[in-house]
Amino acid sequence: MKAPLLFLVLFLLASSCTTLEPCDEDSISEMVASFKTETGGSVIDTTVSALTVYGIREGQSIWLLYDSISESEIFLPLDPHHDFSSFVFQTGEKTDTLTLPHSSEIYLISYSCGFGNQFNLETDIQYGTGMFVKDSIINPIVNTSLEEEDIHIWLYF
Amino acid sequence: MALWRPVSGQDTLRTYGPRFGIDLARFAYILADPSELGAEVSVDFEIYRNLYPVIELGYNSISDSQDFFKYSASGIYGRAGLDYNLINLKDRSQHHTFTFGARYGISMFSHSAEDIYIPNAYWGDFVSDSYEKDLRGHWIELVAGVKAELVPNLFIGWSLRYKFLLNPDMDPQVTPHMVPGFGTGGEDSTFGFSYSIFYKIPLLKK
Repeated sequence: MKAPLLFLVLFLLASSCTTLEPCDEDSISEMVASFKTETGGSVIDTTVSALTVYGIREGQSIWLLYDSISESEIFLPLDPHHDFSSFVFQTGEKTDTLTLPHSSEIYLISYSCGFGNQFNLETDIQYGTGMFVKDSIINPIVNTSLEEEDIHIWLYF
Repeated sequence: MALWRPVSGQDTLRTYGPRFGIDLARFAYILADPSELGAEVSVDFEIYRNLYPVIELGYNSISDSQDFFKYSASGIYGRAGLDYNLINLKDRSQHHTFTFGARYGISMFSHSAEDIYIPNAYWGDFVSDSYEKDLRGHWIELVAGVKAELVPNLFIGWSLRYKFLLNPDMDPQVTPHMVPGFGTGGEDSTFGFSYSIFYKIPLLKK
C-alpha cells in the first residue's frame, strides 16, 4: 500500500517538470484586417491588387508598411503612444486614410518575453470616401498573441 | 517529565505534544538564487493515532531584473491540513513516520513591475509607468513525507508536494512570477520540496 503511493508521488513529480520557456514572441501587437466585398447580400473575400500602405506617426514622417502587394488580408501594427492608429491606403489612383481609435494597456506576455501592449478597438473607425465602403469589427482585442485564423476587422471595398 | 529520556525497545510509552519545524531547504534556495528569499515554520500534533493536523506559515519574496523590466513580489502564506502516518511501528515509543496528506494554502502578497520597456520598431519604443497589484492565491497540495526521530523529540524529515493553483487567473494583466508558498504563478500545478528539522514538546505520555 505504501509503495504504490510513493511511486504515484514520484511519477507526478517526474511528469510535470517544467523549465522557463525562451521567448519566441514579438512584442509588437498587430491587427489583422481582412478585405471583403459585398455583392447581392453575400460577403466574400477579395484580393486587393497593387496595395501600398503607410503608417502615419504624429509629428514624424510617414513610413512604408506594404509596397504594391496583392493580398486579401494584412497585418497593421497599432500605435501604443496614442489612442488611435492611422494608415494611408493606396491602390491605383485611389487613396484613403484609415484611422482606428483604440484604448490600450500593458500586459505581461511572459516572464522571458517581457511586456506588450494590448489594444481594445473602438467602433468609431474613420475613413474617407476614396476606397472603403464600410467596416466590421470581428474581434476588438489586439495583442501580441496571434493565431493563424485570427481576424480583427473586415474592411469592405 | 524528562524531555530527553532515551527511547528504547522496552519503553512502550508514546509521547504527544506540538512538534515545531523549520524548513532548511529555504536556506539552500537562497544560496542557489539570492533574488528569492523565504522562510517557513510548521507545527503539527498527533491528535489521534497516526493522524496529524498541520499548520505551516511562511514568507517569500523575489526581486529580479529582466532585460526589459524589473519585477518584485513579496508576501506571507499559510497552509492547513492533515497528515496520515502509514508506518505502524510495534514499538509505540518510536515516532518515525511516513506520511501522506493534503493541505489548503492561501497567500496574501503584492507584486510589481517597474522600468517597463517595450521595443517597437514601427511606432517607437514604449516606456510604461510602474505596475503594482495586491493579490491573493489559493491552492491545494498533496504531500508525502518522511520524518525520522534522530534523538528523542528531535526529528529530521523531507516532504514532496504536488500543488494545484485554484485561481491561476488572479491577475490576467500580469501573471505573478511567484505566488508565495505555491511557486511559479504561471503554472496551474507545480511541485515543492522541503527539508526540515523538528522538535516535539512532549507534553503528554501514555
